Amino acid sequence: MRDSFDVVVIGSGAGGAPIANRLVRQGKSVLVFDKGPLLRPDYEVPGRRSDYRRDELFSSGAEKILRVPGLANAGVSYYSSHVEPDINDEPHVYRGPDNRDYGTIEGYTAQVVGGGTQLYGGVSLRFTPTDLRLKSFNEQRRSPLKDDPAGDVKREARDWPYDYATLEPYYAMAEELVGICGTNDNQQKPFTSGNRYQPPLQPNPISAYANDGMAELGRRLGSNIEPYRTPLAVITRDHAPSGRKIPRDAAGNPDPESAKTSYVNRYGDPLGLKSNTWVSLLGPVAREAGFEIRPNCVVTHLSSQNGRVTQVHYLDPGGIARTVSGRIVVVACSAIESVRLLKLSAAQDDDFDRRINQNPLLGRYFLTHCFGGARALMPGRFDKSKALDADWATDCCATDEFLEANNLWAGAAIYNNTSDQALPLSLFRTHGSQDLDTLWNGFMSDVGMRADGFIKFLDDEFGRGLSISFMANQVPQFDNRIELHPTVKDKWGRPVAYVIKTWHPHDRYLMDTMARQCGNVLRYGGDPVGRNYPIQGQGAIYMAENALARMANHILGGARFGTDPKDSVLDPQNRAWEFDNLYVTDGAFMPTSGGANPTLTIQANAFRVADHLLTRV
Amino acid sequence: MAVAVRDPGSEYVLNHCTKHLSRSGPPPEPGDEAAATAFRARIAEAWRFPIVGFVREVRPDDAPPVNLVTFVYKTTPGDGRPVAVLGTFGTLYEPIPLTPVLFEGEDTGYRAVSVEVPVAELHLYKYLVDGRFVLDPINPQRKRLANGRTWSRFFTDGFLQPIILEPWELRILYRLIDQILPFRSGDAENFLRRYYFGLNRDQRKAEMPKAFRLDESVGEVNAIDKLLARDEAHRLADYRICLKQIDRALRQQNPFVEPYEMPAEDFIELYDKMANGVTIAGWDYGAYADPKFFLYLLRRHAVTTAFAHPRYAGNVGAAGWAYLEFRYADRNKKTLFDWRAALEKPLGTSPYYS
Repeated sequence: MRDSFDVVVIGSGAGGAPIANRLVRQGKSVLVFDKGPLLRPDYEVPGRRSDYRRDELFSSGAEKILRVPGLANAGVSYYSSHVEPDINDEPHVYRGPDNRDYGTIEGYTAQVVGGGTQLYGGVSLRFTPTDLRLKSFNEQRRSPLKDDPAGDVKREARDWPYDYATLEPYYAMAEELVGICGTNDNQQKPFTSGNRYQPPLQPNPISAYANDGMAELGRRLGSNIEPYRTPLAVITRDHAPSGRKIPRDAAGNPDPESAKTSYVNRYGDPLGLKSNTWVSLLGPVAREAGFEIRPNCVVTHLSSQNGRVTQVHYLDPGGIARTVSGRIVVVACSAIESVRLLKLSAAQDDDFDRRINQNPLLGRYFLTHCFGGARALMPGRFDKSKALDADWATDCCATDEFLEANNLWAGAAIYNNTSDQALPLSLFRTHGSQDLDTLWNGFMSDVGMRADGFIKFLDDEFGRGLSISFMANQVPQFDNRIELHPTVKDKWGRPVAYVIKTWHPHDRYLMDTMARQCGNVLRYGGDPVGRNYPIQGQGAIYMAENALARMANHILGGARFGTDPKDSVLDPQNRAWEFDNLYVTDGAFMPTSGGANPTLTIQANAFRVADHLLTRV
Repeated sequence: MAVAVRDPGSEYVLNHCTKHLSRSGPPPEPGDEAAATAFRARIAEAWRFPIVGFVREVRPDDAPPVNLVTFVYKTTPGDGRPVAVLGTFGTLYEPIPLTPVLFEGEDTGYRAVSVEVPVAELHLYKYLVDGRFVLDPINPQRKRLANGRTWSRFFTDGFLQPIILEPWELRILYRLIDQILPFRSGDAENFLRRYYFGLNRDQRKAEMPKAFRLDESVGEVNAIDKLLARDEAHRLADYRICLKQIDRALRQQNPFVEPYEMPAEDFIELYDKMANGVTIAGWDYGAYADPKFFLYLLRRHAVTTAFAHPRYAGNVGAAGWAYLEFRYADRNKKTLFDWRAALEKPLGTSPYYS
């Protein structure tokens, strides 16, 4: 078994795969680890039957019971996807508002080759230029910030060590190499490298309300900013960089509509049209001599000498402890698990400990997103089963003018969700609950929904629900952090991750403000005359019972990068300060979480780091 | 009967077993039931074994539907003791050897073999480890035969016979689910009749017996039986206890008729009491404190089995989906739930997804 490589990448998702792709293409030897299985799209299986299925019990399956001793919610039910870990085996523990510890399924991006990109909806937005310079923006702002009496924002906000112009070519590279469809007109971000999107598919007809409502919102805000087609990691044309082809119909013509199904968000795509990192970046280089992948292997810790990571310790699928070495080691197993891996390594290795903890910041400034939105039952009914995750987006709440006018520190992307609640079980199990920890609860306890009442529910809801979401920056706080849990261990006996986080008062204000704008999109869009369509509700995650657990699987920060070794864990090239060859490239590097879904930015930054690594190996 | 042994490759086996079976501590020694029980208790989804999956090779269009059933036995790497499986899916005199599953050329300690088994079948099996017959230490499904011997058990997709619930339990369950799902209200019931009748002859031959077997609806009760036999076996105790309470409560409510023959009003009354936390005469609260909790469970199971993929034995002939398909249409009578387009043939019509 080969045990030495130019680069060892831990994690095959958005942060790791771009690096593997670029370095293998340049003739380097790269080993990629993933804790989860390598499930293949149909075209890699002889009988063309993928292990990803269009089956609603694959996204949230049979009931399991949390049985971890000592957790306040032991005994609760959870329903995970086929590629999420069993939380009894490897729980994420968070500290609840009552200071007791709870287990959660939130914050796992999936344990499978491709990571979170297997299950995500594929929303692939860029961050705005302001998102990368929130410190400067807020220092220079004219209007005061609301609900920030202690001045936390100005003290804690950080500019990224590079500006948007530096990242822009890598956004373009990611859009091209990953395979993204969408439109760039009306986006409030410069596309100086040109438009690399594939054309979008026709939107689901229910999204017309969202389009109209977003346009009206732009007019009412005075900016007249129009919506654009949400960039989605789904190919709609043959994709040369990955060699993927659109399925051909009986006449031999490409049929891009074959990608359009609501078995999309929280489903792996059996056809490989959703651009997860296996089909877009790793599979295409899998036959190159330099590439090797070891799925079903868990990296337990790293050890170092004099600032060089010398060994990567892992358990093979049979649980046998093994090691490999790499000239460069890239940690990219999602922010929580990466921080955990670094802390577990420090606990076992003095040199590693001294260097990674040269300041107290590892695990600190953990971030997720401020998110929420609004929902309404629209006047018309549509076939939502033929949809992708989102059709329209608007940046009208992300401009500097909007932030000044609304006393906000940072902006948000707003988009409509099209595929949510489109399929029968997803409609029932998310009725009255929006997150993974509380699936089914609303339906089970709505005991009045029975017989005729059941039909009435379907008549009201099926094919009529439209939701609008916002995705916004969370204020960085030193006390929001990832630690190793003092008592709870995983199935291998290793301490699990302990998530401690709260919402800042300004976060709450921001979420209320953005949720109202999402509600307005529906009010305007559902009623083109009076612009006052009744909605079911609007809100944000801080209101949820488990608000401190919620993270939309956008798990960021905890090892932020920066220019000052005293103020960051990573240098501007994502290299851990005090280490020669250790890089962290998942969302952990982000000093601020951005006003949009993070995957494309993680990918773009990883392509940037790949260019840097090519100068080193 | 000759068994078709297939080799899906070690990647397939490891993909499906590592998450569950790779954990600290040694695997149980063959025949050590106490160690096996302790090992199994740590696995959240031990019921996934043996792995009931799909054949990976190309199969002719007219080949009868089968599952690929993969038996996995965990030992320590380098253990040379032979492991084989003997079961009713094959001949009972010819054990089929399991072979080491390799990772990068090295022994993982897993032993596995994959065989084709027709869908809708139930089988018993044992492992033969170093000349000794043992139960599957991972799979919690067991069947105790009349002769007192216990075997390990599995079933393939769409299995139709009741496995775990008694006939009287199934009958009461059928009536209870009437109170949750809409399929026995006038319109819906008529729809289902027409739908099943409208299936073509081959489909009807395949689907009708399932639909009309235990209940005239979409097979929820049968599928709940499967759920309790395997995926959610931890909930069997809830059903066992509560169906007994419900039987007793109904008899107190209406002493003149067998519970399953009672008029709907009796079930409505009971449902309301369960839903509203009203004290139910005849319910032993010492045995099960919260009737409402059982109602919640039943609601989730009813709707899951009615609308999940038919491979789980409910939603027979996709009748649950068809109900939505025909109920919701635009003004040109075009359906607003075209579920077939995304799904595999012969259930669906996708030319691309199989």
